[in-house]
Amino acid sequence: MQLVQQLVNGITIGSFYALVALGYTMVYGVLKLINFAHGDLFMWGAYLGLTAVLALVSAGIAGSPWLIVPIGALVIVAIAMLGVLVERVAYRPLRSAGRLPPIISALGVAFILQSLARNIFGASWRTFPPGIALPGGITLAEGVRLGWMQLIVLAVAGVLMAALYLFVQRTRIGTAMRAVSLDPTVARLMGIDVDRIIAIVFLIGPGLGGIGGLIVGLYYGSFDFTLGWTFGLKAFIAAILGGIGNIPGAMLGGMLLGVVETLASGYISPQWKDVIAYAALILILILRPTGLLGERVGAKV
Amino acid sequence: MHRTRWLAGMAVLAIVAALALLAGCAKEEGAIRIGLQGPMTGDYAYEGDGFQKAVKMLVDQTNAAGGIHGKKVQLVVEDDAGDPTQSALVAQRLVDAGVVAVIGAYNSTATEPASQIYNEAGILHITPSSTAVRLTQKGFPRFFRVCFVDDRQGLFAVRFLKEVMGATRVGILHDNSTYAQGLALEARRAADKQGLEISFYDAINPADKDFTPILTRIGASRLDAVFFTGYHSQAGLLMKQSRELGLPVRWIAGDACNNPIMIEIAGKANAAGNYVVTEPLPKDLDYPEARKFIADYTARYGEAPASTWTLMAGEAFNVIRHALQQTGSTEPKVLAEYLHASLQNLNGLSGPILGFDAKGDRLGTIHVGYRIDENGQFALSQQQPTQ
Repeated sequence: MQLVQQLVNGITIGSFYALVALGYTMVYGVLKLINFAHGDLFMWGAYLGLTAVLALVSAGIAGSPWLIVPIGALVIVAIAMLGVLVERVAYRPLRSAGRLPPIISALGVAFILQSLARNIFGASWRTFPPGIALPGGITLAEGVRLGWMQLIVLAVAGVLMAALYLFVQRTRIGTAMRAVSLDPTVARLMGIDVDRIIAIVFLIGPGLGGIGGLIVGLYYGSFDFTLGWTFGLKAFIAAILGGIGNIPGAMLGGMLLGVVETLASGYISPQWKDVIAYAALILILILRPTGLLGERVGAKV
Repeated sequence: MHRTRWLAGMAVLAIVAALALLAGCAKEEGAIRIGLQGPMTGDYAYEGDGFQKAVKMLVDQTNAAGGIHGKKVQLVVEDDAGDPTQSALVAQRLVDAGVVAVIGAYNSTATEPASQIYNEAGILHITPSSTAVRLTQKGFPRFFRVCFVDDRQGLFAVRFLKEVMGATRVGILHDNSTYAQGLALEARRAADKQGLEISFYDAINPADKDFTPILTRIGASRLDAVFFTGYHSQAGLLMKQSRELGLPVRWIAGDACNNPIMIEIAGKANAAGNYVVTEPLPKDLDYPEARKFIADYTARYGEAPASTWTLMAGEAFNVIRHALQQTGSTEPKVLAEYLHASLQNLNGLSGPILGFDAKGDRLGTIHVGYRIDENGQFALSQQQPTQ
């Protein structure tokens, strides 16, 4: 029974990694840029959500878990706009500057966002007031418990990932995204507005990151300004593990990393968790350098 | 191109000049400089903030009363973020600033590298809160602490588990920090001597948010109490997540968890019924010095100091001030000799300071156990173990 509970734990952690990994993988797929600022956009989602919740509480409207729906919508919109702004200011002017300058610019944005959060919201841990996250859960069997919040996390992550996958595979904009991802120059010749497609990618990726931040903040109840760094790093690794640029790969990579980490800390020790998880990662990358679902891209002539 | 480069060069020069000017202005001639290092940012920022508020208040009071032998006290504050690398850097900066004595750091991991630097520079160094045993085992002649050492805390926790909580299947969990690992080892040693069997011993990674994997294993091990020797943020998350998993285990946390942030992180309902062993909280210190400190602090900052370590930072400053006053010297060597040999029964904020032993540890012990009540408050446990 302990195994079942540990799998539940692992999949919950994994779905957080997956949700954040989607943002890395989308941007990489289209721009071949590792957006190191993504983890901190995710952290800003948590802070904006907390600010909105606290504003509602001080206005005397609080206590209903349903309030999280409008707050979630607000966070998605705000972080999506922040994402587009970051792209416009820090990445677009560097797009023709080679591969290294945009990565450094992304790291710069990450540090700026992190320091801003620390200066605005303070360095100590912040806590969501009670009554927003649903308490309690169901006991599936002796020693196997599924919290309501865990169910919500799994449902939200699953729906968002499926919607994103369908959007990219089935819609005109999604098709255009895949075209830009294959070859931006040819896509432009085919009449695709590449700048617009990239802006849309920076709406969706950070928007998903923002809602992820809000859910993580609510689920654990408290966080600080380093939230983006820890989750961002793990999610980035999950994206590579699944095959960066590949959306189902990000989901698979996130889940796998979450479950491996959980089993390692649950059955061996949290002290050995990272050794085991990263040894597995290196092994997978040796066997499949492009990640689990990554495609082997031949050299372009 | 050349023009912009020239402009940039001038801008850098101007900034450097301005910084140099600022640094020059900051030094007050003839003042006694005292350093304070603590975690103003990072995981333990709550405690660093308390350090700063307490010591600033006492420095202002001292200066308003005419200083020490006519000399003003000037406080130099540095942020180590609780990090050992950063700690070594800021320690060097305090040495360069020409301080006579330093108060800090908060956590043992940060205090350890700093104590080395202060020792080499010949500066008096008092930590308000770093309780790891090994800190005073290096033979540094000018290193002291106003808190009590973890071998005594470990023994107290074991007695509390046995005599008050009646626990039989006990686990110990630390976080691999200098302090938490040391306290865990001391507790295990004490448990062996007291005949309490430790059926589980492991460590978490404090950078994690999710502790359900190890909690699930704790649940499967059917422990009835776990002693967590780490810090308050993780203690809060452990209490929250273990209740959410429906585990019947009771938590007892050490003296890095004696502040309200832990209860806020856990949530009142999840924290209730768990325990903390610690030096007494400010509210339970019934000494005139403590009451005056708390009243002044409340008047100045609008809230009473909730953490013991806020008060202990004040205690460290008072000890330094006392030594400066009694010896009339600002020579760290003279001050340290006074503290080792002559100081006896000073009325401290946390009770009488009986004195310091040859290693620099404060004599005696004052640990107590608290139970977190249904309102999320630390309530002094009705029953206390034998000391």
